[in-house]
Amino acid sequence: MEKIDVRAVFSKSGRAIFISHLDLQRTMQRALKRSGLPVWYSQGFNPHIYLNFPLALSLGISSCTEFMDFSVTEEIDFEKAREKLDLAMPDGISVIKLAEPVHKNQDIGFAEYEMKFYGGSPDEMLEGLEKMMSMETIETEKHSKSKGIVKIDIRPHIEILNAEACGDHLFLTVKLPAGGSLNINANVFADAFSDVSGIEFKSICIERTKILCKNGEKFI
Amino acid sequence: MLKEQIENILLKVRNPSRYIGGELNSVVKDKSKVDVRFAFCFPDSYDVGMSHLGMKILYSLKNKRENFWCERVFAPWEDMEALMRENNIPLYALESLDPVKEFDFIGFTIQYELCYTNILNMLDLAGLPVKAKDRTEDMPIVVAGGPCVCNPEPLADFIDIFILGEGEEVNLELMDLYAEMKKRGCSKREFLSEAAKIEGIYVPSFYDVSYNNDGTVAAVLPNHPNASAKIRKRIIKYLDSIYYPESFVVPYCEIVHDRAVVEVMRGCIRGCRFCQAGFIYRPLREKSSETICSQTRSLCESTGYEEVSLSSLSTSDLSSIDETLIKLSEYTDGEKINLSLPSMRIDRFSNELMERLKAIRKSGLTFAPEAGTQRLRDVINKNITEDEIMRACRIAFEGGYTSVKLYFMMGLPTEKDEDIIGIAELAEKIVDLYYQNPNRPKGRHVSISVSCATFVPKPFTPFEFEPQASAEEIDRRQKLLLESIRSKKRINVSWHNYKVSILEAVLAKGDRRLGEVIYEAWKSGCKFDSWSEFYRYELWVKAFEKAGLDMDFYAHRKRSYDEVMPWQHLDYYISREFLIREHKKALNAETTPNCREKCSGCGISAAMGGACFGKN
Ligand code: SF4
Repeated sequence: MEKIDVRAVFSKSGRAIFISHLDLQRTMQRALKRSGLPVWYSQGFNPHIYLNFPLALSLGISSCTEFMDFSVTEEIDFEKAREKLDLAMPDGISVIKLAEPVHKNQDIGFAEYEMKFYGGSPDEMLEGLEKMMSMETIETEKHSKSKGIVKIDIRPHIEILNAEACGDHLFLTVKLPAGGSLNINANVFADAFSDVSGIEFKSICIERTKILCKNGEKFI
Repeated sequence: MLKEQIENILLKVRNPSRYIGGELNSVVKDKSKVDVRFAFCFPDSYDVGMSHLGMKILYSLKNKRENFWCERVFAPWEDMEALMRENNIPLYALESLDPVKEFDFIGFTIQYELCYTNILNMLDLAGLPVKAKDRTEDMPIVVAGGPCVCNPEPLADFIDIFILGEGEEVNLELMDLYAEMKKRGCSKREFLSEAAKIEGIYVPSFYDVSYNNDGTVAAVLPNHPNASAKIRKRIIKYLDSIYYPESFVVPYCEIVHDRAVVEVMRGCIRGCRFCQAGFIYRPLREKSSETICSQTRSLCESTGYEEVSLSSLSTSDLSSIDETLIKLSEYTDGEKINLSLPSMRIDRFSNELMERLKAIRKSGLTFAPEAGTQRLRDVINKNITEDEIMRACRIAFEGGYTSVKLYFMMGLPTEKDEDIIGIAELAEKIVDLYYQNPNRPKGRHVSISVSCATFVPKPFTPFEFEPQASAEEIDRRQKLLLESIRSKKRINVSWHNYKVSILEAVLAKGDRRLGEVIYEAWKSGCKFDSWSEFYRYELWVKAFEKAGLDMDFYAHRKRSYDEVMPWQHLDYYISREFLIREHKKALNAETTPNCREKCSGCGISAAMGGACFGKN
């Protein structure tokens, strides 16, 4: 049987941000099944739809640039197939594009996030940020499957691309390492910011806006 | 808007997708354009409630009506409840995220006795008084349906309207009446009076209960002109043409039964004497294989599920089962969908069936002989012989299975020590059978798990007259069973907690006075009683003491044939004479043939125009 790889770019927002990564896999399998596309199944006693997510997204974070790979058993028209798949998606998930995959999972090096922090005064928040960025080290704890809880210093890995106080909130664009070798969760950054600044934010909205390769190219 | 408040706490709880709705196929309407809003509450967690078929049927049915909007509500888990209370977030419905307090109806489906405290807790979390008499005009009407409503008396203080029997027609009638009366500006009391005229509607406040000196019920009498002396359950005559959902809400997180479900039959022909469902869901009605196939197709297509199960009390009794499975598997095989058949009877277990049901491989095989000796199986009318059990196990072992799970009940009427020893002997015989098979998998041993539940006598069964066995007696029998097992490495015995079964017995056969006990138990912190990590027996004991009531009176007392039962005013068509006949036969270990072989005159054929199966 023919097996053609397809990469879907999709967004996740609204109520869908509370779908965990594990649940997203099931959700996507069902959406693919409903879409009626000629999806490729793994062979064997218990055939399953093959799926690959190059970079998982944490619970509570929205994104306009998520990726999912699957395979089909015959040539498809990408735009028509995108429409079908998009129709099969639940609220909050939209399929933006289907294309042939170019990069590999392990090419991923960074991700960019836009964050909105509500709950402090603009000056207080900007000051907090300055304080954070002037620190030499920021120790955080990270759960690792193999080593349990490990301490890591995230300070050298944080790149603030933009910071603006906009009325009732602070708007940040942040670049963090992502992917297999070193991955810093945007929530870890937000928690550290809250710790260092001493501000108890009322709410924090985070959106992933870019996934980049190690060499700085856009992941596609 | 609650939405923002909810979103702010969601990242602090386990499985947040349970609390925010938005699932595929969930129905969102414009609330300004509907006449009646119905908050359908399942008094247990999302994972349990979302697996429940009845709720899916009524949800879709109501939402098909343009002027009705039905939404889902589940009991939030402990972590979520704490945060909701802390942040003043009232109980809300998943579709609109609006507080259920603003709805016209709050409806509970009551599937088991141990969820009663959750009903109170949900009403409280909604910001409503738990007792019906304390709720005012502007508050929703609280209704309840489901199997436990065949004796709803313990809940009479908390619920405005009970809905008896099958809900498809009566729910719409009730909502239509409400819509019409709401437009006319009628009061709640006026609505209840009108509703009481609908068949299947029971308004508990329209009845007074009196008691004898010995604590038994003297009479249950109407105190309102529109309340009839007897309230009859509703029955859907033709299952083949009744509404069935074309789609299910597909949850994000894993739930207990995460698959498409097609109801293939209602009722059961077997008449097992301990089984309440077998009596209250009578008579048997089937769907045709065409209907089953087309419903399977549309459900699978609209949900994307990779598994479909054919649901009923005893799916192997479906008269078109072979034809249906052949037709269905043409579709499901092509779509790589697993077909599963729960509730199979041992005597219908065949090679062919096993081959077809790949899905059961995952869960392993389970059989329910229910009792250890033929005599006791005859008492309970479980018409299964030891040969049939052995044959089914042989087929399973030859098919490569190495483990079998067996379900039994302990404390059945007339049970003697030899019946308990019989459980052990049966398990031993199955172990021997395994090792007699020359082709058994090399190096693999057999594992038999024996699971014993304590028998709970239930209303509308021939055993409603029977007491439940005492704690000491069950304890002694459990020890006896353990001592009787020789192959301790191959046979693993487990049982349900007796302290749970006794509460089940009390609530199942209880009267209105238990309302005080349930209230006290909930006040003192009882909820999620069906979850062992939450169950607090000692709090229930205290609640009984405080109310001056005795658990033994409800659970361990034999009822005479002429005692007025607390549910006597509810008519499930099953006659008292029939139950007495069956009870007497049980005591003599006489069996009753199934309804297809011979009608035993339970009384329900009256609802079907004289006969359940054309000829009898
Ligand atoms: S009336 Fe007869 S056939 Fe019908 S359910 Fe009762 S016993 Fe069975």
